[in-house]
Amino acid sequence: MSEIELSGLEKRYGDELAVEDVSVTIEDGELLCLLGPSGSGKSTTLRMIAGLTSPTDGTVRIGEDDVTERPAYDRTTATVFQDWALFPHKTVLENVAFGLRMQSTSTDERRERAREMLDRVEMAEHADDNPTNLSGGQKQRVALARSLAVNPDVLLLDEPLSNLDKRLREDMQIELREIHEDLEKTFVHVTHDQDEAFTLADRIGIMADGELVQVGDPHEVYENPKNRFIEGFLGDTNFLAGEVARTTAESVVVETELGQEMILPSDGDDALAVGESLTLSLRPEVLTIGESPVANDADPETATVADGGTTNEIVGTVENAIYRGSTVRYSVAIENSSVFVERTVADSGAFDAGDDIRIRWNGADVLAFREDGTRVDL
Amino acid sequence: MRRESLETALFRAGYLVVFAFMLLPLAVVVVTSFGASGQIAFPPAEFSLTWYESFFDQTDWLRAFDNSLLVGLGTAVVATILGVTAAFGQEIDDGLVGRLLAPLVLLPMLIPPVIFGVTLLVYFTEFDLQGSYVSLILAHTLWATPLVYFVMRSVFRRFDWQQLDAAHDLGAGPVRSFVHVVLPNVKHGIFVGALLAFIVSLQEFVMALFLSNHTTETIPVVAWNQLRNSLSPMVSVVSTFLILISLGAILLAAAATNLNWLSKQLS
Repeated sequence: MSEIELSGLEKRYGDELAVEDVSVTIEDGELLCLLGPSGSGKSTTLRMIAGLTSPTDGTVRIGEDDVTERPAYDRTTATVFQDWALFPHKTVLENVAFGLRMQSTSTDERRERAREMLDRVEMAEHADDNPTNLSGGQKQRVALARSLAVNPDVLLLDEPLSNLDKRLREDMQIELREIHEDLEKTFVHVTHDQDEAFTLADRIGIMADGELVQVGDPHEVYENPKNRFIEGFLGDTNFLAGEVARTTAESVVVETELGQEMILPSDGDDALAVGESLTLSLRPEVLTIGESPVANDADPETATVADGGTTNEIVGTVENAIYRGSTVRYSVAIENSSVFVERTVADSGAFDAGDDIRIRWNGADVLAFREDGTRVDL
Repeated sequence: MRRESLETALFRAGYLVVFAFMLLPLAVVVVTSFGASGQIAFPPAEFSLTWYESFFDQTDWLRAFDNSLLVGLGTAVVATILGVTAAFGQEIDDGLVGRLLAPLVLLPMLIPPVIFGVTLLVYFTEFDLQGSYVSLILAHTLWATPLVYFVMRSVFRRFDWQQLDAAHDLGAGPVRSFVHVVLPNVKHGIFVGALLAFIVSLQEFVMALFLSNHTTETIPVVAWNQLRNSLSPMVSVVSTFLILISLGAILLAAAATNLNWLSKQLS
């Protein structure tokens, strides 16, 4: 059993709170990604699980044991560091065998096991090399083999892929995923890259300002963010300021900075007062775009209800187009504000700056947040 | 000839002149050691190995060599242990106490050795240590430790401390992680520090003059006593040996570290 339980974990440096009241249970065999911007306390949390940093409050439990007071060399965790921290004066094989040597495993046995591990990460032919002569990707593999060689209950990964280029990083993500499925060990992976977290994680824990804001499976966290920070952090979105104009039994009507009312379907669970300030999030993937309707088409100022949802429609002018590889991002001016929309390059028809463009979305896909950042349960 | 290379050539020539000027006294000392007469003369009227022969007959010189080596090695060992552990400890936990105390290790270097020598003589007499090897080693350690400390601070600053984390993480306790991971990374620096401590002790005269007695006299003290009586070429013979020892130590250091690395450490 190598379930990890953190409760009330806190790390204070002088007046600075690096980690504040982090409580979470990481299940046996789970791969949890701690995701957050730099300085959010995710690495500090990982180091406290490893025993490399001692918490100022709270406890760490691994399996049945409270290990809070135990130093790193007495814990059954192994860490892959961001800069890999290979020992430069030892060969690749000696690096991988180091942990076993510290466990007083016999020379033959540890060499055999180290070779096995190097085989697994496809580095066997570099066994006698000096690690300083390896490329970043190779160092990363050696570091992984070194950590796996001690057969840890828990593998901790502190942004080990962040120094690799994109292609290599994506390959390694798949490989890590496979190793995790193979070993059925508990993994905690720290990253600031949401794509990496979504690729790897069974569950994602989002950290901001030292707090663990939300833990959930990737789909849930993305679709159902707890607050405005998470919505903004997980991919790009349009945030629009607005004010509640009126509420009805099945909808909330919001007056937005786009100069148009938006209708959000609501079952009235969360009471909203007329005049309350809201921030609305329109993700580019919920916006469909098309050519501007001809003049005699429906009045764009009028929202229409269709497809069982609340369809909103607005017209704007393309300001610029940015090619981002497989997608094109258009910045669209509407009133005194602007929103961005995306379409894949393969889609027929492109827009140029100055073109009028029609944007549609379903009101049910819009998320609303209060002034303090909390999500409105519509 | 291009202007640039002319300037380079001039610079090199100037440098060689300065270098030669600085090395010349050493050459004079070595040449005078081969003199035959009872007074130092340059150039000697007659060359002989007389003074080398009599050197090996004079027990006080031979004992001075033994004393200098003993005190030098003792100082190197004590100063290296103190300097390395102090720098290591401060690197691991850069607390307020360490930051306030660190400048204090410089104090012994700022006090004139004459005053320091007298003070230490009074102090060691309290413990009945006057004239002992221990008093000499301790006095020299006061001087050598700051040197080792500052060399090691700069060496440790270059060390990738994540390696120590990695060692702990892989199950190495404090002692084993230091031996297996930190030491191999900094051993050249430690060697340079120890060598500095040894050389500082070897050439230190003033404190040794106060603190040694007839049986513990080091080379500079014996040389001083003999020079007061006569300017005999024996001093040149001893100096020649000292030059050879220093050259040997530097060659040893160069071989053990490699000069490239040494110049990087000192720059």
